[in-house]
Amino acid sequence: MISSDHFVRFYNEVFKFLDEKQGLEAYYSHISSHQEFHCLKEFSERGLQGVYDYYVKIRKEENCDMDIVLNDGELLLQMNCCPSLSKAMDNDAGMCEKYCLHCPGWTAPLYKKAGLYQIYDLVGLEVPQCSEWIFEDREMAQRKYEELSRNRQESLLLKNF
Amino acid sequence: MLRYQENNELHRDFHGTTNTTLNYIAEHYGIDTLKMILRKTGHDVYKSIREKLAKGDASELIEHLNWFFYRENGKYQLTVDENEIRFEVLECPAHKHLKSLGMDISPYSCLQTEEVNAGMCEGTPWESSVEVPGGGHCIQIFRKKVENDFQRPLCKILQ
Repeated sequence: MISSDHFVRFYNEVFKFLDEKQGLEAYYSHISSHQEFHCLKEFSERGLQGVYDYYVKIRKEENCDMDIVLNDGELLLQMNCCPSLSKAMDNDAGMCEKYCLHCPGWTAPLYKKAGLYQIYDLVGLEVPQCSEWIFEDREMAQRKYEELSRNRQESLLLKNF
Repeated sequence: MLRYQENNELHRDFHGTTNTTLNYIAEHYGIDTLKMILRKTGHDVYKSIREKLAKGDASELIEHLNWFFYRENGKYQLTVDENEIRFEVLECPAHKHLKSLGMDISPYSCLQTEEVNAGMCEGTPWESSVEVPGGGHCIQIFRKKVENDFQRPLCKILQ
């Protein structure tokens, strides 16, 4: 058994292999379908409140230093210190340089399926920090994207719409 | 002392993602590839355990088995003597959690234990084996190789 504690370091090895085979995108899609089991009903039926509640649980279980702010149709997930990337970096096997990409990779299609609009600022692929904004209203999401894109590096600013 | 100090909350749903990933890799890239990734995980991620085993020090391996199964509320029995470490898992925490989620356990689930353990032992005087009676019960054995068989120069063996 690979322990829950060490899953991230196994995941990291899987990413290294898949990256060599150009297989990351297909795998993210598969994992996104798997995660529907845990999240889709809540996200689809309860919208941002469902996402909020899910991440309150994740913040505790995964030991995240994360602010979760739900306000006026906008949910902000502000990761101050990502435990997942931190583990991938604190690793004798070395970090997969694309490690961060799995997060938007599986969440973006899931939010889309739940009718939610996501903007993801990765900040940097070797920085255990990121910001994510989620909206129920597409126009609000578009306005936020335009505001963010003025000051953010385009390759690190992702959206699912 | 453990190389990776983990002592806070657990996200047990990671067992679900591991389970899905084992199936995905085996189905898309083959079982040999899955074995290779798992073996590499054991070899590279657990470099510290492996290097200690190479020097004849099994302390981190013993602490690793005990601590991470204890954290997951596993039922197990750990028996240690000079030449053998026997770790009997009476109820696998991963299988228990997968069942609680209603997920089918991957047919490759126990392969992760076999290959990760083998990766930890590579190039050391230790070898590993796993017996799987089934139902979340396994017996993981780490045994010191017979001295003559470990890294003895080929010319000596031929003599």
